Amino acid sequence: MHLYEVLRRPLITEKNAALQMEGKYAFEVAGEATKPQVKQAVELAFKVKVIGVNVMTVPGKERRIGRRNVRKPSWKKAIVTLQPGDRIEFFENV
Amino acid sequence: MKVTNEKTENSQTYLMIEMDEAEVEESTEKAYRKLVQRVNVPGFRKGKAPREVLERHVGKETLLNDMLDELVPQAYEKALEEQEIEAIARPQIEIVQTDPVIFKAVVPLRPVVTLGDYHSIRLEQELVEVTEEMVDAVIEQLRHQHATWEPVERPLALGDLATLDVESTAEGEPFINQKGAQYQLMAESITPAPGFAEQLVGMNKNEEKEFEIQLPDDYTREEFAGKKASFKVTIIEIKQEYLPEVTDDFAAQVESETKTVEALRERIEADLRTRTEARSKQDFEERVIEAVTDISEVKYPPVMVEVEIHELLDDQARRLQMQGLTMEQYLRAMNKTDEEMHEEMRPIAEKRVTRGLVLGKVAEEEKIEVSDDDIDAEIAVMVESAAEDRRQEFKEILDTPQTRDSLRQTLLTRNTVQRLAEIAKGLKEIDTSLKEEEK
Repeated sequence: MHLYEVLRRPLITEKNAALQMEGKYAFEVAGEATKPQVKQAVELAFKVKVIGVNVMTVPGKERRIGRRNVRKPSWKKAIVTLQPGDRIEFFENV
Repeated sequence: MKVTNEKTENSQTYLMIEMDEAEVEESTEKAYRKLVQRVNVPGFRKGKAPREVLERHVGKETLLNDMLDELVPQAYEKALEEQEIEAIARPQIEIVQTDPVIFKAVVPLRPVVTLGDYHSIRLEQELVEVTEEMVDAVIEQLRHQHATWEPVERPLALGDLATLDVESTAEGEPFINQKGAQYQLMAESITPAPGFAEQLVGMNKNEEKEFEIQLPDDYTREEFAGKKASFKVTIIEIKQEYLPEVTDDFAAQVESETKTVEALRERIEADLRTRTEARSKQDFEERVIEAVTDISEVKYPPVMVEVEIHELLDDQARRLQMQGLTMEQYLRAMNKTDEEMHEEMRPIAEKRVTRGLVLGKVAEEEKIEVSDDDIDAEIAVMVESAAEDRRQEFKEILDTPQTRDSLRQTLLTRNTVQRLAEIAKGLKEIDTSLKEEEK
């Protein structure tokens, strides 16, 4: 899979905004992406140095649509730690 | 903050105000803190979004505008203080640029009134004369009002009242069609068309006549202006006016309190006198104010006129509303736009502003004041005019701070005008010289 397909979108939330203070940035990434791929993708896209990647699968939640229970798809979240001093500016929050 | 006083003209000062970065930053921070409490940013609880995130979410413009709203009034106030300028109304503010923030403010200043030597104004109040002829004219009018109309068998003459059927067309269009219409023949009458009355003169009862009249170009009903109208008129009845003789009976009929012709004449004369006197007094006061305004120089900022125009328009809107019309309907009926109406009011507004300022200044010079007692007295007078059982209620309506305030204004103006009138008649000077003699 191509590196450009790895990062889906940055996650901009209150919690992640707090993490950014420690140089940690969160993204939704492709389900089949691996830690090294995420590292490469972030370094390429934002021209920064990544010193650590944590990934986790966020389980989809059950939603009730009408009478049926529907499970939203699970997705993968990655939290990357940047080299101290590096910053990412999210210009587009898509 | 840097304030440059560019120029002062027309009673307004042009200020150029440049803000320091720190001041801008402080205001931005304030604006952010206010805004963030209101805005919902996804992913954040209310009030928790950091400034960058919020800025991106609502757009830089919004925050900038909020910042300016916060910053400009404050800076303006401070600038006024610094420059020791006394403003009388809200300024016109124009943002020149935002980085760094520079804005222009046009500050309306207190109007400057330089009174001319109004003590030297000498005007004569027109003498009121009630002549016998004037009384006669009124009596003649009364006779007409109390006249009786008797049917007669003779050709129609001017002054008669005819009952008639009329059918008419103007170039094919139905014009006037009425049965049993009452029509008084007057020589100069232009209804329904000029020359209509003359055409009828000499006609007999039950006679039918057809004739044509060229309607004038400025005819009141536009759609018929300049057209040729053909009339067919049938006379049904002719009545002649019988004027009552001027007798004591007539006098009693006109006014139950006047039993004789003599009493009626006196009554009419007294009425005429009060009316003409009031008119002449008003006219005189008008001229005095005019004279004072003419020799005085008044400088005021244009906003005052704008405010006055708005007041005038509001007044008019209120009057229209009482007739059940809206301003929009009125404008459409008059075929005018909002702006035209606005401009039309301008000369009136200018005059009112100048007058108000001049009178205010005179009141100040002459130390004319209205005390609470004066207002109480005025309210008492107004209450007098109300019906007995409603007086208490009426008094309560009047005795509010707002009406008291406006009454104060009215009284002040009235007293000032009165003083001016006295001065112009030369009465005031005699007063003061008398006082000096007493000393």
